[in-house]
Amino acid sequence: MTDLELQLRDLAAHLDVPTHPPLAGAVLVRITRARRRRRVLTLAVATGLAALAVALAVPGSRASLLRFFHIRGAAVTLVDKLPPLAGHRSLGTPIPLDRAPFRLLLPSGRRPARLYAGDGGYWLRYPGLLLFEFESGNGATLIKKAAAGTHVEYVRVGGETGIWIGARHAVFLPGGPPVAAGHVLIWQHGVLTLRLEVAVELDQALAIARSLR
Amino acid sequence: MAPDAENHRLNNDNPSVQPPGEETLVERARRGDSAAYEALVLAYQALAFRTAFVISGDAADAEEAAQDAFVKAYRALGRFRAGESFRPWLLTIVANEARNRRRARSRRTALTLRAAAELRAPYEDPEEAALAAESRELLLTAVERLRDDDRDILACRYFLELSEEETATVLGIARGTVKSRAHRALGRLQEELA
Repeated sequence: MTDLELQLRDLAAHLDVPTHPPLAGAVLVRITRARRRRRVLTLAVATGLAALAVALAVPGSRASLLRFFHIRGAAVTLVDKLPPLAGHRSLGTPIPLDRAPFRLLLPSGRRPARLYAGDGGYWLRYPGLLLFEFESGNGATLIKKAAAGTHVEYVRVGGETGIWIGARHAVFLPGGPPVAAGHVLIWQHGVLTLRLEVAVELDQALAIARSLR
Repeated sequence: MAPDAENHRLNNDNPSVQPPGEETLVERARRGDSAAYEALVLAYQALAFRTAFVISGDAADAEEAAQDAFVKAYRALGRFRAGESFRPWLLTIVANEARNRRRARSRRTALTLRAAAELRAPYEDPEEAALAAESRELLLTAVERLRDDDRDILACRYFLELSEEETATVLGIARGTVKSRAHRALGRLQEELA
């Protein structure tokens, strides 16, 4: 090694290099967050495909599917013709409010007139308002069909995705015939999917949804 | 004499730069074991930071570059070839990140020397110490006047004590080029000092 090389080596020992900051914590947070985002994306794609498969499995839907909306636990398809609809359907078994296995969200914190267990979730009946809450998995529990031209749009509810259906449409719930429904807002809230049916316009429906606690 | 690749003592906080079972750790990290990757980060964070600092000259840039490099390396583990050494592969990413930050600044931040009092042994002659500090100062000023590629190759070889092979990997050049480029950089440094 030449003199100059030795001097450079000596210089290295005298460089003012700050002590390294601890990096492991920040790195782990970033890679864990990225992994979680990827998992959520993968799950969202899988859920969307599962929901589409369920929607397509509803008899008579394949040929007439025009447009498809999806959030976790619910799917809405626009079709050229609605199926024949049953006039009325039971909401399930009436139960006391404290019997629900998870904490139900209540509009403005108000107790419902009646609570029913049914269709894999809980129906909360208020005067002029029907709220359905269920813990959503990968598949679509709520399958809705709306006629072509019906106003259906994605909306944001408290930072989460929702779907607004602004007209009469058909609801397919597990194990029952399709029934008619009016203006409906469906949205995700943590592990829950909620469906609010109320005869108001979108902005009022959103205000009710945001009042849930 | 070329710097010995097996004898790095740069990582003062964690001298055992080559952790035991590194291959296993990389393999486990590749399968998503974050504890294994944490062990790799802990083993290399000092060297990664020092590398980034020597290239960029700025502590904040170096921290950011080293952190980003670890994250990018983790994401790229699928492309890491089994049996290869993790260290030069990681340092390549670190060096790229640090160079990107250096480019983003309009001018390079110059390295400085530690305060003489911090380093002087109690028995050292104060005059000799002052002269040595002065010559180091001159040498560092000359290094900082070099072009980026000359400075980088000298930094890899003498400040980071990387082997020729590691330097080639980190700078993305052929191993044979390392020797000739280092030789030319030393020549230009000599001219700066004259």
